[in-house]
Amino acid sequence: MAYTPQYYPGSTSVGINRRKHMSGNLEKLRDIPEADVVAVMGHRAPGADYSSTHPPLKEMGEPDCPIRQIVAPTAGAAAGDRVRYSQWTDSMYFAPSIPYWRSYWGAINCKGCDPGTLSGRQIIEARERDIEAYTKAQYDSEMTDVALCSMRGCTVHGHSLRLEENGMQFDMLARTEMGSDGNVYAVKDQVGIPLDRKINLGKPMSEAEAKKRTTIFRVDGIPMCGKVGARKYDEAVDALHHMWELRSKWGFRPE
Amino acid sequence: MAVKHTKKLFVRALNKKFGKDFDLAGQKTEYKRLGPEQNARKREFMEYAKKLEGKRGMTGYNPYVHAGGIPLGQRQLVPYKLSGTEYVVEGDDLHFVNNPAMQQMWDDVRRTIVVGLDMAHEVLQKRLGKEVTPETINNYLEILNHAMPGAAVVQEHMVETHPGLVDDCNVRVFTGDDALADEIDDQYLININKMFPEDQAEALKAAIGKTSWQAIHVPTIVVRSCDGGTTSRWSAMQLCMTFIDAYNMCAGEAAVADLAYAAKHAAVLQMSEMLPARRARGPNNPGGLSFGFLADMVQTSRVAAADPVKVSLNVVAAGAALYDQIWLGSYMSGGVGFTQYATAAYTNDVLDDFCYYGVDFANDKFGGFAKAPKLLDTAKELATEVNAYGMEQYEAFPTLLEDHFGGSQRASVLAAASGITSAIASGHSQVGLAGWYLSMLLHKEGWGRLGFFGYDLQDQCGPTNVFSYQSDEGNPLELRGANYPNYAMNVGHQGEYAGISSAAHAGRMDAFAVNPLIKVTFSNPGMVFDWADVRACFGKGGAREFRAAGDRSLVMPAV
Repeated sequence: MAYTPQYYPGSTSVGINRRKHMSGNLEKLRDIPEADVVAVMGHRAPGADYSSTHPPLKEMGEPDCPIRQIVAPTAGAAAGDRVRYSQWTDSMYFAPSIPYWRSYWGAINCKGCDPGTLSGRQIIEARERDIEAYTKAQYDSEMTDVALCSMRGCTVHGHSLRLEENGMQFDMLARTEMGSDGNVYAVKDQVGIPLDRKINLGKPMSEAEAKKRTTIFRVDGIPMCGKVGARKYDEAVDALHHMWELRSKWGFRPE
Repeated sequence: MAVKHTKKLFVRALNKKFGKDFDLAGQKTEYKRLGPEQNARKREFMEYAKKLEGKRGMTGYNPYVHAGGIPLGQRQLVPYKLSGTEYVVEGDDLHFVNNPAMQQMWDDVRRTIVVGLDMAHEVLQKRLGKEVTPETINNYLEILNHAMPGAAVVQEHMVETHPGLVDDCNVRVFTGDDALADEIDDQYLININKMFPEDQAEALKAAIGKTSWQAIHVPTIVVRSCDGGTTSRWSAMQLCMTFIDAYNMCAGEAAVADLAYAAKHAAVLQMSEMLPARRARGPNNPGGLSFGFLADMVQTSRVAAADPVKVSLNVVAAGAALYDQIWLGSYMSGGVGFTQYATAAYTNDVLDDFCYYGVDFANDKFGGFAKAPKLLDTAKELATEVNAYGMEQYEAFPTLLEDHFGGSQRASVLAAASGITSAIASGHSQVGLAGWYLSMLLHKEGWGRLGFFGYDLQDQCGPTNVFSYQSDEGNPLELRGANYPNYAMNVGHQGEYAGISSAAHAGRMDAFAVNPLIKVTFSNPGMVFDWADVRACFGKGGAREFRAAGDRSLVMPAV
């Protein structure tokens, strides 16, 4: 089919970046070893076997089902992995991703996942080996800046707080720290349990780089509605007005 | 024409919170991680907990068990300024357990019932041949104000309640009939002409007509021991006994049943409806309280009618404390998080600033309150502007964003400002509600985040219920309430909806939103909570300056 999904309106860098996140066509900025990703996730020790909640599907004698014939199981589902999660907190100070766009990325690009979206955190759940792959993809890609984004299973407080003086997002549990070499290190897993070694996550983006890659509209970056006294609506606002109006009118059904 | 308001009202509060020398625009700061010791109230808690340890024989409050040994206070623990007042209190002081004014506000609702007098008088006159005159009514009211707190009439050798424990109990009457009102002893009368501005008094009296009603407030201690469902039973028993005494009736004859029916059912206005079985609560519990009734309970409209924003925001404050902190936060759920959500709507002058900005903008555009067309386009223009302004303030003032650190707080405040502006400008609550939902969608679009999961449901599909005629989907906002479908689970909404209900009528300068009986009943000077200045009263509670009713210390050993 020649159809190319358009995903999102707008010609600003925010609109373009939002489309990129949704399409999954993201730039890879770093390569964090799988074992390190697994350690920060904290669900199993790197190298340990996966826990399972049921036998491999092949051994289960599944019923004759047309849907099962159409949809191939993910690796984690086929193996019977338990469902685990990774949860991210993205600073409102120009972190590359924002919760809904992590969810849209997941829902569009990650098979068998369950995204959940809040204001200060965004969670994706999936079979364990699948979520590990999805988490690594997030860590490695331009969706993530290691100073402005961090994995936080609990005590997520920080997305809306001023940054630390060194540009790191505030974290009550101090799960990451800025090293003297300018690299960011993970020192605790996502629920705050200390790691047995520091994990080098690499260098953070510069402020300019973060602003270039961000998906958040802000008045000190790319504004969505112009400024007070000089309003100029992004195409996203026009599209949204349209949807809101149709939803409102649809509800009016006097029959 | 409305007075223009100074912009950035929240800056004063931010200075009070963070210290006047901090950089208002700075996006970075040093987090000193000073722990709970940085905060006076936390220090007080820790010291008190230490005293209790020996007494209790087991551990209790200890902030160092928090998060594996990392206590609260890794960021600055800042106080809160009650909006529109000079009160600055700690966050802890706004948890309803620590705030007796908030408790009393709710107690005042659930201990109240409005009972008609006319049907009882008809029974007395037509069924029993008794004469009812202003003198007999005054005599009845004197006996009733003896009996209602829990004292005996008619019967011998009865137990009674200590007057010092029930001194907040009172019954006053009101009527739209000036001639009758003139005959009632002042101490037993809610004088509409005295309590309300002239235009409001005329509107209220016209709505009430020649009918007469009793505003009954049973003792606070009774509803604290039982619940709101008790109020009608308690009051009905004392009403019947008083009629028997005042009119020398036979205690056992069938006519008493007619009186009892009148007092319990026929001409009775509960403050809130019973809830269905899955949320099983009797009447006079918060889940059945409609937004319009709450709007009428708050009395700011009779003391500050020219300032519809102030009127609406006092309703928001009452609703945030009652629906969010007490109903959802404790009846329906538990814990302490609900306070944090709710305070955003009534502290630090943030919602005030956003609303005044919006209403000034609307007045410039449409020429005054309630002058804008009652159209979707009005909500579209105003909500888009107000929401954009509010988001820009959070972006331009990082400590403002930090103050409303949760998306649910910001969503509620932005949407409330959009809804209140649209309602005041149009004089129509449904236009206000449309503005609320548009704000939610715009907010989510701009920042890619909104509130917690519930906002996905309630706010993103919400526009469809604004104009729905189907009773399980739509209703005038005034008639919706805490148990309305979709509204029954989400903090940060119900108080604001009540505020939007109020805003439409405040913009129109109406005397009441839904029910004139409620409006007059809560003007009773015998109320313990100050219903005309909700936020200041919360401040008094937080500052430990407020004395609530229902205290038991009179009959207990001193601490």
